[in-house]
Amino acid sequence: MNQNRIIDHPVLGHLENKTPVTFTFDGKTYEGYEGDTVASALLANGIRQLRVHEESGSTRGIYCNIGHCFECRMTIDQTPGVRACLTELTPEMVVESGKVQPTPFSQPEDMPQTYADFTEKHTDNKEGDPNA
Amino acid sequence: MDHTIICRCEEVTLEDINNTAEKYGCSARELKLRTRAGMGYCGGRTCRPAVDAVVQEATGEEPGNNLPLKVQPPVRPTSLATLGGQHQS
Ligand code: FES
Repeated sequence: MNQNRIIDHPVLGHLENKTPVTFTFDGKTYEGYEGDTVASALLANGIRQLRVHEESGSTRGIYCNIGHCFECRMTIDQTPGVRACLTELTPEMVVESGKVQPTPFSQPEDMPQTYADFTEKHTDNKEGDPNA
Repeated sequence: MDHTIICRCEEVTLEDINNTAEKYGCSARELKLRTRAGMGYCGGRTCRPAVDAVVQEATGEEPGNNLPLKVQPPVRPTSLATLGGQHQS
């Protein structure tokens, strides 16, 4: 799991004696170190994609890594919209990636554009019909 | 280059912004309302300077704090549950 970690850093020194912490990401178990953020633990495990754009499904990962941009938001222990880059890893944490959301109004051509369109679509409706 | 994403929350590209600015010759605020750049999850805190810069280039409008893309509360996205005192974050 440490293939992406910097073990010897010119300024921060040597990384040693870290306590391993296990957590799950989308149902799979991974190991990070105590003091990791969720984002750093996943990065160390080679996972760079944290979520997809809610509408288009294009991939997203760490962007600012300082809690500013909310690009790294994930569902952590059932709380949605939590920033992975600011959240410290705790043992047995359940981390889930962000998914595409349903877009019930994504076919605007099906929807009436004007009130005239709307009444035309509903000319057959009986009086008292809530959609009329 | 034009496919560079300016607003990541709403996935608006430089191309979208440039095309809209060109087509409608609009103010920063109108640009924001038409493309949704800066109206996403992060509250426009990430892309605002970029949107301002593009607008300035396209329409000559100076970025300002008066109306166009002014920063509005809350300063940070927060959940209703937090506002309602249900949990701390
Ligand atoms: S990466 Fe920007 S808020 Fe986490």
